[in-house]
Amino acid sequence: MQNELILKVENLHTSFTVGPLNIPIVKGVSFEVYKGKTLAIVGESGCGKSVTVHSIVQLLPRNGRIDQGTVTYIEDNEEVRLDQLQRYGKKMRKIRGENIGMVFQDPMTSLNPVYRVGDQVAESLMQHFKMKKKDAMKEVISMLKKLGIPDPESRINDYPHQFSGGMKQRVVIATAMICNPDIIIADEPTTALDVTIQAQIMELMKELQVKYNKSLILITHNMGLVAEMADQVAVMYMGRIVEYGSLTDIFEHPSHPYTKALLRSVPVLGKQEGELLETIPGSTPNPLDCTVGCEFADRCEFAQEKCRIKDVPYRQLTPTHQVRCTLFEEHPEVVK
Amino acid sequence: MKKQKTTTSSMAKRTWQKFLKNKLAMLGLIVFVVFVLASLGAPILTSFDPNKINLANISRSPSWTHILGTDRLGRDVFSRILYGGRISIFIGVVSALSGTIIGVVFGSVAGYFGGKIDTLLVRISEIFLTFPQMILILVMVSFLGPGISNLIIIFSVTGWMTTFRMVRNEFLSLKEETYVEVSRAFGISDTSIMFKQILPNTMSPIVVAMTINIANFILQEAGLSFIGLGVPSTLPTWGNIINAAKSVEVIRNFWWLWLSPGLVISVFVLAVNFLGDGLRDVLDPKQ
Amino acid sequence: MAKFLVKKILAMIPMLLAISAMVFFALELTPTDPINYLISPDMASSAGNIEALRESLGLNDPAIIRYFRWLFNLIRGDFGYSIISGTSIREIIMLRLPATLELALVSLVLSTIIGIGIGLLSAINQNGWIDYVGRVMGVVGISIPQFFFGIVVIQIFAIQFGWLPFGSRMAPGQTAFFDRLHFMVLPAFTMAIAMTAALLRYTRNSMLDVLNKDYIKLARSKGIPEWKVYLKHAFRTALRPVLVILIFRLPILIGGSIVIESVFSWPGIGSVILSSISAGDYPVIMVTTLLVAAAILISSIFVDIATALLDPRVRFE
Repeated sequence: MQNELILKVENLHTSFTVGPLNIPIVKGVSFEVYKGKTLAIVGESGCGKSVTVHSIVQLLPRNGRIDQGTVTYIEDNEEVRLDQLQRYGKKMRKIRGENIGMVFQDPMTSLNPVYRVGDQVAESLMQHFKMKKKDAMKEVISMLKKLGIPDPESRINDYPHQFSGGMKQRVVIATAMICNPDIIIADEPTTALDVTIQAQIMELMKELQVKYNKSLILITHNMGLVAEMADQVAVMYMGRIVEYGSLTDIFEHPSHPYTKALLRSVPVLGKQEGELLETIPGSTPNPLDCTVGCEFADRCEFAQEKCRIKDVPYRQLTPTHQVRCTLFEEHPEVVK
Repeated sequence: MKKQKTTTSSMAKRTWQKFLKNKLAMLGLIVFVVFVLASLGAPILTSFDPNKINLANISRSPSWTHILGTDRLGRDVFSRILYGGRISIFIGVVSALSGTIIGVVFGSVAGYFGGKIDTLLVRISEIFLTFPQMILILVMVSFLGPGISNLIIIFSVTGWMTTFRMVRNEFLSLKEETYVEVSRAFGISDTSIMFKQILPNTMSPIVVAMTINIANFILQEAGLSFIGLGVPSTLPTWGNIINAAKSVEVIRNFWWLWLSPGLVISVFVLAVNFLGDGLRDVLDPKQ
Repeated sequence: MAKFLVKKILAMIPMLLAISAMVFFALELTPTDPINYLISPDMASSAGNIEALRESLGLNDPAIIRYFRWLFNLIRGDFGYSIISGTSIREIIMLRLPATLELALVSLVLSTIIGIGIGLLSAINQNGWIDYVGRVMGVVGISIPQFFFGIVVIQIFAIQFGWLPFGSRMAPGQTAFFDRLHFMVLPAFTMAIAMTAALLRYTRNSMLDVLNKDYIKLARSKGIPEWKVYLKHAFRTALRPVLVILIFRLPILIGGSIVIESVFSWPGIGSVILSSISAGDYPVIMVTTLLVAAAILISSIFVDIATALLDPRVRFE
């Protein structure tokens, strides 16, 4: 099957203004999303993965701003530059509602406590398709049914506090799916849930994605989840993608020391008793301290002088696999 | 132990630096200090006795000798404002302090022990909250009579509820924290846990609330003295000075009798409120 | 909802009992002979034997019985008599209460609209010039003594320009509401200023708090217009703490009316309380106090209803 490009992010730079300081959070991130495929963005908390996707849909906080780079959304062979649209303008809002759905981390706080669940899911239908409330509610009920919420006809009249965490997240997914978007961005959708519920929700998302041929951008710090869900993987560290490739590239041939470390820190069933789970030494540095070179150098066992003094280019390992590390200097540089 | 000390002092240093950068709060602090110093140093700044009646010299407009004029009994207004500041600021600060102490003690007890004593204290605080404070004050003034100490008692008794609620809520959430449970498991006494372990964590909102109470009490003292129920009119306070301006005739003809004390109260209270807002911004961990 | 209301009303009863008991026993402590305020002065003077009257009225009964008798009379509308003028307290209240209510209501409406409105704009334009103006207004508003503000507006609008009257409630003969509206402008604005400032500050903080919530991000991700995000999603949740503050501020508003009535010679309950205090007319002070407290408790029920309508979580608690 031919891979059909649907979203392209090139050299994205996003920074936050805090007091007098301008702190770069995302530094030159590029990736592609294909129709019906899942891209997983992996990294520790604070690495800029959430900011990256918030930049795509222009939902950055007031003090955040895109400094550089392009975000292109492709709809029926027509390219739309999302970064050039007005933040809360009509076009951007239409794309946010109809074309890109979002699921956030904490379902407990994602729903407005004062409105009925059905009304909250129906809101985008009524906004974008000018549907009457009655028709919208029918859609909502069938969507909630698809998502495995029992007795949706009466549940739509309940308030969020009457739902359990897992059920709430299903409602949030329904909100994201209701306008039948091409892309769903899920920002750590299961982190706040119980482990058993996590598996259910992820299965559900996978099923929806395959069944309705959606593209999924999954943000997570859980390598196990990546292995189950992703087609493409982008490993992020301190605002940069340090390694980018297909699922097999990343899991069979992990190249960047950070990716390797991440993989080693995943608990694997059948690990010998007494065998310790590895941790990555050191902690995430302050973004202001990283100016040149590789951000991971201070925690990396292979770090050399050259990692710290000059900018590290991306190297093309295979046509699908890129890495930003001085260990691969024999490979060709990626030309941008 | 030593390490902890250095971290707290560097925390304090950082907070202080943040405070220095907050221009309005600094301005508030400077105005506050200047006013306090000026009223303490009143004898140096003016040679006039604030209570000396001089009938040969009544209702004079501001001049070089009487820079803020004289009142209807010939007393120097500038001197009265300086000496009046002593009493007004004293009442505000002391009442806020004692109200805070009541609130902290009740709040810690209610939040720490919970149960019946908590319900009882919450009920009492609700009665005080719904009761019109001003009327309560008036009723108490009508029983106790006007006077500085009575005013302080009344203000403390009517002004402890905000602190109480805050401290109680903090205690309710903090007493579940691990370090409190650990202390209890080690057999440390309840009072020691309350005042040495939990209370320090609630200090910042208490300080902010106290600052705001100082501002409120100064306003209330002025209001009560203005309607003649605060401090006896023989003593100069900011409210008593402006009490002289109750007639339309004074408002019309003797602007210096009400404008300068009114501005002094407003500027001082504004400064205290700036200070309170600034402290809140600096001390609030959410910022 | 009905259950919620019943619960709120039931919770009010012990509060009212506590306050009335406080008032009654405070009255007991005053050097006032109950015979003077319990019956009309005509009756007292026509009665030959005061001691017999005392016995027949049950004034020698234990305090607790007298308290419930007094409470029962209050509920029936028998408020007793002023010990200074001998007029029925009920009459005094009927005469003066409308003036106070009128003023308090107008300034309550004014401050709610202005305070919440500016607070909202201030939060939406955080760090913009509207926000700056709003913040300055907020802190200045809670810092200026009401009476000083009153004097200043009298000086400017009544004395300098002569646009508005500087006191009292109506000119002789002008009794229709709109005829005497201009009498209310200055006192109502003066009274509203502190409340406006407080509401402004709370609305702004509460809105800023809510705007950081995840459900606002989710609302935006649905692609709805910004005004809907602010008004439909943020404002409604932000309003609940503001309404709670409104309850706590009502007593301050009423208390403030005493000072305002004094500055503008407004013939309301506040001036009655004030003159009763200087005259030592304890029964009048106590009964009016009790009524004001009851009024505040009852209005707090309305605020409770409003919060319950705004926020379903309250209804289910």
